[in-house]
Amino acid sequence: MKVQQGCNSSDMGIPVRTEEELRRNTVITPEDVLGLQKITKDYLCSPEENVHMIDFTRFKIRDMETGTVLFEITKPPTPAGGKKNCDPNAGRFVRYQFTPAFLLLRQVGATVEFTVGNTPINNFRMIERHYFRDQLLKSFDFEFGFCMPSSKNTCEHIYEFPALSEEIMREMILHPYETQSDSFYFVDNKLVMHNKADYSYSGGP
Amino acid sequence: MSEHMQLSLALCRIGLYTCFRALCCKGPPPPRPEYDVVCVGLTGAGKTSLLSHLCSEGSDHIVPTTGFSIKAVPFPNAILNVKELGGADNIKKYWSRYYQGSQGVVFVLDSASSDEDLEAARNELHSALQHPQLCTLPFLILANHQDKPAARTPNQIKKYFELEPLARGKRWILEGSSTDNMEAVKESFGQFISLLEDKDTEPARI
Repeated sequence: MKVQQGCNSSDMGIPVRTEEELRRNTVITPEDVLGLQKITKDYLCSPEENVHMIDFTRFKIRDMETGTVLFEITKPPTPAGGKKNCDPNAGRFVRYQFTPAFLLLRQVGATVEFTVGNTPINNFRMIERHYFRDQLLKSFDFEFGFCMPSSKNTCEHIYEFPALSEEIMREMILHPYETQSDSFYFVDNKLVMHNKADYSYSGGP
Repeated sequence: MSEHMQLSLALCRIGLYTCFRALCCKGPPPPRPEYDVVCVGLTGAGKTSLLSHLCSEGSDHIVPTTGFSIKAVPFPNAILNVKELGGADNIKKYWSRYYQGSQGVVFVLDSASSDEDLEAARNELHSALQHPQLCTLPFLILANHQDKPAARTPNQIKKYFELEPLARGKRWILEGSSTDNMEAVKESFGQFISLLEDKDTEPARI
């Protein structure tokens, strides 16, 4: 399962789309999001649309050249009869804080662990787009394929860091959280989940 | 104030580093070729343990795989994107859903298992060798748990599994393995990678 890594939609012959256009559709497809040129202002689907009960339970990043684990987070189990979280988007936004050295990495292995509800999923696919101030840095397209019912699955894919100019790296470091990403998840080519993240490379909060 | 200094230092380091790279004509190292392989075998064979050790990850937290586990396993001259599938009965029935797109197969078996389990492993291996999506691919067969006293030797396994007649004309490697000797395991994978690289050459047998 190779990760498709592209940059500009126009290079791939995909029509440019805007967030507003997509919101008018009843169904959002992979080709739709591949046409987006900037980070979306809001989520393109609601948490309720995750009808397959896909739940991300663990995330880890390691440097492929040294094997060093750079970051790892596990979702705490929900307490029985737990309080409903006041923020409905809490589970789908992550803020990452890295040091500037992170931008010098070439190959990073990102492991995601997720569980699936009791119906099988035929074709699970993720498209993740990274932007710095509305400039697309990199787009990743990964097909998980078939997911067994009631399974817990892990997947590690390798991210090749895009070649960033010194100037962009400097700007990214000096402007924390202006680097952002949209992760879109599709089942049978229909958007079911949308997660967001932002990134700081200044080494501090 | 110190944060500002830290940032400046970091920026300087990056500046120096990029200068260094430019001056020494050090481009990024050539990317290693990647191969997609599927890893199957009965539950308890040791698939997850072997792969975790290959990735220098600890093995204390290992539990039976209840789905798939896709891992990028680095080797000096290649990266194997391994799709490891749980071996329990309720998962085995889905194995063939994952065969498409594979370039090689890693089959792990417990050399020290009961006769009954060994027979079940043999049946699974034979099915895989004959499956239309796998039958032309190189196979790495690991007779695992060689450290256990009850382990059959690789030669015994080869005989019992009838690999000579059955896998004739196919490219396969059979080696003993144990998580106690990961250097040997890495060598076995190295040979497997050679098979993956040379798609057109003579089949290799061990």
